[in-house]
Amino acid sequence: MNEFITIYSAEVMRRLRSRAFIIGLVVGALGIMLMIRLPSFIESFTSQSYRVVLAGNPDLISAARPLLKDDYNVAATAPGLTNPTPADLKSRKASLVIVLTHAQRGIRATVYAKDPSSVTTSDLRRDLLPLHIGFATKLSSKQVTSLLKMPVEVKPLESKFGTAAQADQARVVANILIVLLYILIVLNSQLIMTSVAEEKTSRIAELLVASVSPSTLLAGKIAASATLAILQMALWVAIGFIFGSSATTSSMHAATHASPQAMSFSGISAADIAGFIVFFFLGYLQMATIFAAIGSLINRTEDIGSIGGPFFIPIVAALFIALTALEVPDAPFVVAASFIPLIAPFVMFARIVVSSVPLWQIATSFAINAAAIWGIAILAGKIYRIGMLLYGRPPKLSQLWHALRA
Amino acid sequence: MLEVAHVRKDFGAVQAVRDVSFTIAPGSTFGLLGPNGAGKTTTMRMIVGIYAPDGGYVTWNGTPITNQLRRRFGYLPEERGLYGKMKVREQILYFGRLHGITDPLIGEKTDAWIEKLGLQIYVDRPCGELSKGNQQKVQVACAAVHDPELLILDEPFTGLDPVNADTLLETLNDLKKRGTTLVLSSHQMWQLEQICDEFCIIMAGENRATGTLAQLRDAWPTRVIKVEPPSDAVKRVLDRVPSAHALPNLNGALYYEVPSGTELPGLLRELVSADAITRFESIEPSLHDIYIHTIGQA
Repeated sequence: MNEFITIYSAEVMRRLRSRAFIIGLVVGALGIMLMIRLPSFIESFTSQSYRVVLAGNPDLISAARPLLKDDYNVAATAPGLTNPTPADLKSRKASLVIVLTHAQRGIRATVYAKDPSSVTTSDLRRDLLPLHIGFATKLSSKQVTSLLKMPVEVKPLESKFGTAAQADQARVVANILIVLLYILIVLNSQLIMTSVAEEKTSRIAELLVASVSPSTLLAGKIAASATLAILQMALWVAIGFIFGSSATTSSMHAATHASPQAMSFSGISAADIAGFIVFFFLGYLQMATIFAAIGSLINRTEDIGSIGGPFFIPIVAALFIALTALEVPDAPFVVAASFIPLIAPFVMFARIVVSSVPLWQIATSFAINAAAIWGIAILAGKIYRIGMLLYGRPPKLSQLWHALRA
Repeated sequence: MLEVAHVRKDFGAVQAVRDVSFTIAPGSTFGLLGPNGAGKTTTMRMIVGIYAPDGGYVTWNGTPITNQLRRRFGYLPEERGLYGKMKVREQILYFGRLHGITDPLIGEKTDAWIEKLGLQIYVDRPCGELSKGNQQKVQVACAAVHDPELLILDEPFTGLDPVNADTLLETLNDLKKRGTTLVLSSHQMWQLEQICDEFCIIMAGENRATGTLAQLRDAWPTRVIKVEPPSDAVKRVLDRVPSAHALPNLNGALYYEVPSGTELPGLLRELVSADAITRFESIEPSLHDIYIHTIGQA
């Protein structure tokens, strides 16, 4: 136990002082801040860039202006201008000219744009619909607006959420947590692989395994890495909360493509958070153990990317399946994937957040993945024991097979 | 007592160690010799518990090597390595703690080793910034800071300049005086000859010769005798010795290789009666000679 504590504390200190960890921590924090702030920045930049000139019938211009204000930066009006030229755009520093005229029934909008692909006709149609219907039916704008607000109610059946809004909120938060889970597992598995590879390439491995058993050494390193991953997670989540709570509703809307209240945590329960922590540990312990074993096979630090790279494929696959699981949590392939080691930690967590997963499925997935950790640890321990002292050419598959069977 | 009994270690189709046996008395110093690839390092790794033997056994005072037991051992591997960014003192402390030494004792022991090896001015320097010789001294301190009962050093003199090699030799002698059992491998025979009580020469994973230097010499089949003056009368006497043959003359002396069973006092009497002998010397084979002879025979 003392050896474990010695290795654990030395690893924690070594990693805390390492440039890679500090850079990862800072870059991750900056990334989160950027992710939260970037949509609002882009939106403001976009709205600044796409200056619009409203032209055509003066009555229509004044009626349309308030309807367009949420989606367009109406920078100027040009009553009477019906056939704009590029010079008109340039002189008004605008990207679009929307010309409004009376049609046989309702109104007609013609958009003149430098870049036609920047025009979303459905948005424009939606914004101007009350005006169009008003002119077509001779109803007052109040009446039209009232008619357009058709009541639609969603009633959940067998759903863990009380309302559709809560389900949306949970989905948004789950999206963020799954990406966080992915980043934490990938980053820390990569770090542990690098740490093991460094010990091997610096030739200190033999001195270490002569002093302590390889399994204690491996356990100490993985535990230290898990501690630092939790530290990272806590810091990043804290930053996410601080920045998220101060971010504008519109930026959230842009970031999540959901309702303006979507960043609220009201759809996430304590059980979901517990699930996140449990499945983080399951996923992390599986991947970290595998990557530690891979690190022991590396003879040159420059081989880390090429040898370790293919082993990230299951995590990337798990990420995509988990994101799919948020939309179709009960699809048969999603359900099956939520039991498969390496993939299950992501997928089962996604299912838990957005649906009512039967308890037996959660328990079975946990048992399978916990057993997988045990199995992976035994196999990885054998590879690690051999790999750490194997210099020169990387071991052949037959040698690894021999080591695994020993 | 360390007992290595018929140990065998295979790596797939490669038999690194076939059959190696020896025993080492507590407090003695043992030299493990052999050419590159003979199986010395694998044997040492089996002693220290890094590898489990595929056959035979290793015991320390009659007990098989366990994780708990090997904490009382020290090991300096042939492949040297340190945490490059870790400071010298920190590194020695770390290995001491790994071997179960706790505060404040570990601090005292670390400082004592730093002083003994002349590393005082480097204590706060990262190990990666040290010269190769000084790094090696740090490694020795890491291997021995916990006062091991058994210290195994694989090629400890390799890469050391003569001054540092002397410092290491002195340190090993100190450990020997304190009762530490030492196992060394080296290609620097004269250094081993100075410090070791017993030797084992292995080749192709098998014992070739084992024993003290005197025992190895006794088993040596010939002796070289040096006689002055190199006169014809002296030559005639020496040529009559069965199986004797002349070696090249050097510095005005005659050198003859004679069978080890030759009765030297009788030979000397014959020589004295043949000429006015000014020098008669029986040259004992050095460890180097024995090693070359043993390896060459194989």
